[in-house]
Amino acid sequence: MGFLMMSCSRKKSKGLILANSLAIEGLHAGYGEVRVLSGISINVRGGETVVLLGTNGNGKSTLIKCIMGQVRPTAGRIVATIDGTSYDLIGRSTEDIVGIGISLVPEGRRLFPKLTVEENLLLGAFREFARARISDSLAFCFDAFPRLKERRRQLAGSMSGGEQQMLAIARALMALPKILLVDEPSVGLAPILVSKTIETIANLKKQLGLTVLMAEQNFRQAIRIADRGYVLVHGQIVLSADNPQALQQNELVRRFYLGVG
Amino acid sequence: MEFSWDLVINAIVTGIVLGGFYAAVAIGVTIAFGMLDIVNIAHPAFMIAGAYLAFLGWEDFGFDPFVSMAVFAPCGYLFGRAFYRAYHYFFERRGDESLQGLAFFFGILFIVEIGVVLVFGVDYRSISEPYLESSVSVGFVSVPWRMLVPFLVGLGMLGSVHLYLSRTFTGRTILAVSQDVEAVRLIGANPIRAKEIAFGIAVATAIIAGVLLIIIQPVEPSITREYIGRAFAICVLGGIASIPGTLVASLILGVAEALTTTFYGPSWSPAVSFGLLLLTLIFRPVGIFGR
Repeated sequence: MGFLMMSCSRKKSKGLILANSLAIEGLHAGYGEVRVLSGISINVRGGETVVLLGTNGNGKSTLIKCIMGQVRPTAGRIVATIDGTSYDLIGRSTEDIVGIGISLVPEGRRLFPKLTVEENLLLGAFREFARARISDSLAFCFDAFPRLKERRRQLAGSMSGGEQQMLAIARALMALPKILLVDEPSVGLAPILVSKTIETIANLKKQLGLTVLMAEQNFRQAIRIADRGYVLVHGQIVLSADNPQALQQNELVRRFYLGVG
Repeated sequence: MEFSWDLVINAIVTGIVLGGFYAAVAIGVTIAFGMLDIVNIAHPAFMIAGAYLAFLGWEDFGFDPFVSMAVFAPCGYLFGRAFYRAYHYFFERRGDESLQGLAFFFGILFIVEIGVVLVFGVDYRSISEPYLESSVSVGFVSVPWRMLVPFLVGLGMLGSVHLYLSRTFTGRTILAVSQDVEAVRLIGANPIRAKEIAFGIAVATAIIAGVLLIIIQPVEPSITREYIGRAFAICVLGGIASIPGTLVASLILGVAEALTTTFYGPSWSPAVSFGLLLLTLIFRPVGIFGR
């Protein structure tokens, strides 16, 4: 009996987690004549935190923008599976992709600086299905980020960088995403805040059962919360690591990105 | 004219009442110019279109001006949405909005003005209803209903637009769209649709302001020119995208004009708006409620 229950619950949780995933195959993209991504294939399986590592200008943000429909790839496939339904993302508008259940915490945060913290959060729940649960979501965000509750009437643009990053994350969560994309959360933050932000993302992911893909140039911090990772150099995947140890122990990563060995 | 406190108080009351009407004129510019980055200098053209529609409704069908507002403002809204679609398609989408867009709106202004001249002639047109001819008097201050109605409608309109923008999802999206278009997409909203709705609202307010204008005074086609300066001066003085700012700036301009008219004569009143505009740009370029 006990065994049966265990297998049952395991099967259920496995089914739930596996439902939300992202698969990218042979993706090429660029801006006009400039090719930025050449044949990228990556996978984000349900419930994983996958990090996309690379220094500036190697194509991380372009890849994220392709997923969000902000940049149109020239070739390849991007398929998201949400709650067991597969969606081909290429050709869809950004609005549609958010509606499917994918949210982005964009690079540079992209808040509405002249609106208050609360107005920014409420706007995050624009999609119909998010509106229905807006008060729950707002309560959750204020609970997760007490600082935002204190400053709810303050203009977003007048907050510190760390607070703005929290708000950007909270606003993305207001859309009730199943897959959360995070682009360069460390940019412009003090080292202590970088590590706090990274931990926050890991906690929220656990609480909400999210699937996370995070692009980051701070290898050391990103590896802390990664289940798996990819290293992107000049628009190509040069390393695909199945666990954080493999990333940490890779000779190339150690030498060039972690500055050891 | 000789100074007396009676005159000052009378001028201030008149100015405040006039300011309520100016707010009705300027709100559409605050939306289009302040929130959507559309330099719609054709706004007064939509306004006189509203004035002449009200005249037509009154003369041919016996429409009360309030009936005209109820009928023509929704038409203005739909027209505004279609108009923004065209503007977006031909100018904004290609990044041509600054110079070509400005020329486009200038052209629209002339076309409407000339169209009105061709249809109605250059004579003054007015409407009258019995209730507009009476006045409200408190002590020595007397305000005619044909000033009070525009004041009240103007305030009501500002209040409604403010509530709509701050309380509804689409309203907040309109506030957000001038700050970051890509971020609007990232919350799952369509920025072009938000701008389209906002422009529709702006044109609807212009139509209503036009009906209010012909309630206040007889109208002739070139009256648009007086209002371009006023509306943009109010918009800048109020802080470009602020509705409370628009209201306060309208009242300030109304009172300043009424005082100038009382003591120096009506020919000085156009100078007031540009004077205020210059002073604002020198001393507080972000406007009263700019943030």
